[in-house]
Formats: sequence, structure tokens, C-alpha cells
Amino acid sequence: MGLIGGVLIVYSAAPRTRLILATTTSTVDTGLLDYLKPYFDLRFHANLTWLYLGTGQAITVASRGDADILLVHDRVKENAFIQSGNGSHRVTIMYNDFLIVGPATDPAGLANATSAMDAFQKIAVAGDRGQTKFVSRGDGSGTNALELRMWTKAGIAPKGRIWYLDAGSGMAPTLRIANEKGAYTISDRGTWLKLKSEMADSLQLTVLYEGDRDLLNPYGLILLNQTKYPNTNWQLAEDFFLFLISDEGQRLIGDYRVGNQQLFTPLFGIPETIGLPPETGEVQYWVAKLTENHMSPPSWVPASAGGQGVGGA
Amino acid sequence: MSGWDEIAAGIVKAVQLILAGDPMVLQITSLSIAVSGTATLFGALIGIPFGAIVSLKQFRGKSFLVQVVNTLTGLPPVVVGLLLYLLLSSSGPLGFLRLLYTPQAMILAQLLMIVPITASITISSVSSVDPEVRDAVISLGADPVRETLIMLNEARLGLLTSVVVGFGSAISEVGAIMIIGGNLLGYTRALTTAIVLLTNQGEFAEAIALGIILLSLAFLVNVLLTLLKNRFAGTSPYARSILTNTSASPNR
Repeated sequence: MGLIGGVLIVYSAAPRTRLILATTTSTVDTGLLDYLKPYFDLRFHANLTWLYLGTGQAITVASRGDADILLVHDRVKENAFIQSGNGSHRVTIMYNDFLIVGPATDPAGLANATSAMDAFQKIAVAGDRGQTKFVSRGDGSGTNALELRMWTKAGIAPKGRIWYLDAGSGMAPTLRIANEKGAYTISDRGTWLKLKSEMADSLQLTVLYEGDRDLLNPYGLILLNQTKYPNTNWQLAEDFFLFLISDEGQRLIGDYRVGNQQLFTPLFGIPETIGLPPETGEVQYWVAKLTENHMSPPSWVPASAGGQGVGGA
Repeated sequence: MSGWDEIAAGIVKAVQLILAGDPMVLQITSLSIAVSGTATLFGALIGIPFGAIVSLKQFRGKSFLVQVVNTLTGLPPVVVGLLLYLLLSSSGPLGFLRLLYTPQAMILAQLLMIVPITASITISSVSSVDPEVRDAVISLGADPVRETLIMLNEARLGLLTSVVVGFGSAISEVGAIMIIGGNLLGYTRALTTAIVLLTNQGEFAEAIALGIILLSLAFLVNVLLTLLKNRFAGTSPYARSILTNTSASPNR
């Protein structure tokens, strides 16, 4: 590194130890990847790097074979990626939740909302009356996709309405726009807490609705189809996969804190505990893989999970 | 903190980072200089000869070609980035080169932007050399190569400017290298792309610090240009001598 470091990089070939993760803005903006990188790099003699994109763009880039592995949060797009044969394995590795934030004066009255759907309807009603605005990510990200699904569920077509601002930006910039405009928006808890700890008093938005099942935010880790993308660094991608679902990786995720708050809850092997569909086959396959590589699964994954699935490996 | 406080904090942070010799900042800065410097060098090697030929030769469609070159100077970096991405992507026609997300691809992107700039400024500066110099050179029986070299020598201030302007637009460009380089930490992260990321993440002081480094680089280059201009300004002694020799008949 240092002054000539950059010059050397320009005139040398790319080493095979570099792993390119295509991921969503929230895993970068929260600092999670910066925190995990040294542990992974040291253990696997690797160099973890990432492309900072929204989920939609991350999936597109990966489907063109321009990344080695995916960490994203839009189950609909993730499933489509697997079904089209682009991805070979997918597990849920962690989750947090989405929050509806807005001005402390709460002109839409979200304090009385009975559900997330109701909260979206209240914002639309207040918006139509000219009392408030809503800022959408508008960038095809996982958060954007969830927001659009919520509007559909609430029976509202927000696009083109005067109160609906399409920011076309990442989560942190969108929160700052909502902050400037005194508008509502929806954010993942991780980015919200990180920005809150950084901007302190100049962030005047507050959390106005949280806790609905509809607002769960699970993150999926996807391995690319090795036959379809032979040029990707699949060996290292598998190492990273194993690292994140291992006891060590899962514990690190759960231990990551910003301003004393936990940002992500590890979830490998137990998605059904928060009401997501079980991933039994994948979990069995990966527990066997972990054992094969002398790594242990997290303590909460039943030991029997590996026993039945060895044949799959 | 708001507004002025943050800018002030950024300036303090910049001084701290530079004085402390922060390895990451040095690496990002040197990568930026190496990428844009290489792109500028090749941009000059292509753009200056191209511009010289266009301005000295007479041919059909010359003024149209000049207009095309001038238009391309305004090529939006993000469009260059997108087109190159589609070409260099693994599933694109040049995917086999495995160039995407490398500093070499960043050089290529900036090169495509610099060539029209260097060529355009070369054309206008060679065209504006006193026509009497060229007439004099021809009347003294110089061959075309010598004639071109003399004309380039007369236009050297413009050529110098073209190189500096090319470097300036390359090092401050963000749209193309963000897409083509991928802003990978420790590999393709340049000053401008790092500023975008830090701004997104709300780390304003660090973003301003890198901005100040970028500005300082541009300033240094401009100081260098001014020094060179003062050194080489005016008509060359050679041109002066041939002009006095041949200007006996003023109205040729």
C-alpha cells in the first residue's frame, strides 16, 4: 500500500484471491462488510471486495457473470434468479426489519396505524390532502421492491402522484432527502441506525411504524451456477458462503453493533422461526459441507440436520 | 453539525489524513494519478497526431469531422461507462479479455474521453498558428514531416493545454470509472468514486478531505502549466528567423 501502492495496482494483473461480492447498499452502508472483511480475508487468505449496488442491479450484474457471489434482500428476484438457473444455492443468512420513518409531527397519524398496510394507506390519504410527502428509493433495490409491494397490498398506485417523490438513490441518501423534505420513507433498520448514529441531531426523522410481519427483511446469500459462469471465482465464493453460515460467521453477524445496537440477527438454518418458508434441503447440504471443511454450523442448527443430507453433497 | 462546520471539519480532516500519511488515502490518490496519468499519456499520443493531421491536411468532409470531434469532447462519462460495461461484461463481446472491474478498464474508459479533448484542442491550436509560418516553411522546401513538426512546435502551448485539460477532466471524472471500475476497495477505488461512496454513507468530513486532495492535484497541474507557458510562450526563435528571412516581400 502507500503512495506507490496504487501505481503498482494499475500495472499488475488481477490476482485470483479477489472475491467480488455483488450486494445491496445496506450491507455496505451499515459497515457490516467492512467489519466482516478482515476475519474472512485472514482465514481464507482472500481479498473480499464488493460492488455497492441495489438488489436489482446486483442481480443483473451477477446474471451477466460479472460478480462471484450475491448477498441481497428481495425474495421474489432471488427466487427468479435461482429458477432461471443462474444461481445454484440460496440460504437466508440473517434478517432485520424495515421501519417507516417520518417527521416527528406525524401528519399522517401513523401512531394510530393498525398494520403496515394501514400505515401506507394513511400516508396516501394525508398525501392526497397535501399534508405530507413520501420519498421512494425508486432504484429497483430490495427496499424499493418491498415498498412497491406494500402499496399494491394497500390498493394504492402512488406513481405520478404529487406527494410521491422518486429519489433514484441508495438508502442513506434517500433518508437524507426525506429528512430535508420532512417526508415519510421506509428504511431497513441497519442503515437507519447507522445514519442516526452518524447524523445525530441533524436527522430529524423518527420511527413512526414498526413491528409488522410484512416488514421483515431477510437477506439471501446466493452462489452462482458454476457451470453457467465458469469464469467466476467460485472456489472462493464457496469459502465465503461457508464462512458466513458457519458458527463463526453467524456469531460475528449477531455481534456487530453500531452505537450499542445490534443491526442484523443471524438466521442460517432457522428461517421458519420468523415465519419464512423452511430451507431444509439447503441447510442439510450446507451443514454437511461445513463438516467436510472442518467448520461447525451455528449452535442453533439441530445436529441431525447434517446427518440426513450427506448424500446430497 | 451543519454546513460550514462540516466543511471546516473536512478541511481539518484532510490536513490530518495527509500529514498522517494514511495508507488508504495515499493508495487511492496514487491509483487516481496512475490511472488518469496513463490515460492522458496515451490520449496525447493518439489525440495530438490525429489533431495535427486533421488540421494540416485538406480533404473532403474535414469540417464535418472537426465538428464530430468537437461534439465528442462533451461525451458524458456515464455513457462511456455504460457502453464499455456492456462490451467488457463477461457476457459481452469483449468479455473474454476479463478487463471489467480492473484499473486497466478504467484507463480505457478515460482514454476514450480524453482523445476527443486532446484532438479538438490540437486542431484549434494548430489551425491558429500564424499562416505565414507555414508558408515560409513550405517555401524553404521542408518535407511534410518537418513541416508538421514545425507547426506542432509553434502550437506547443495549445498542445500543452490539451494535455492538461485532458488530465483534468480524467481525474475529476466519476461516471465512467464507477461503472467500469466497480469502486472496489484497495483495487479500483479512485478519489472521485471514494467521494461518492463516503457522501452516500454520510461521512462528509472524509469526503471533503478527499475532495481537497483532488482539488490540490488539479491546482498543482495548473501551476505546472502556467510555469511551462511562461517558459515557452511566443513564437519560436526558429520561426522568427525564417519569418524575417522570407518576409522581404510582405504581400505574398
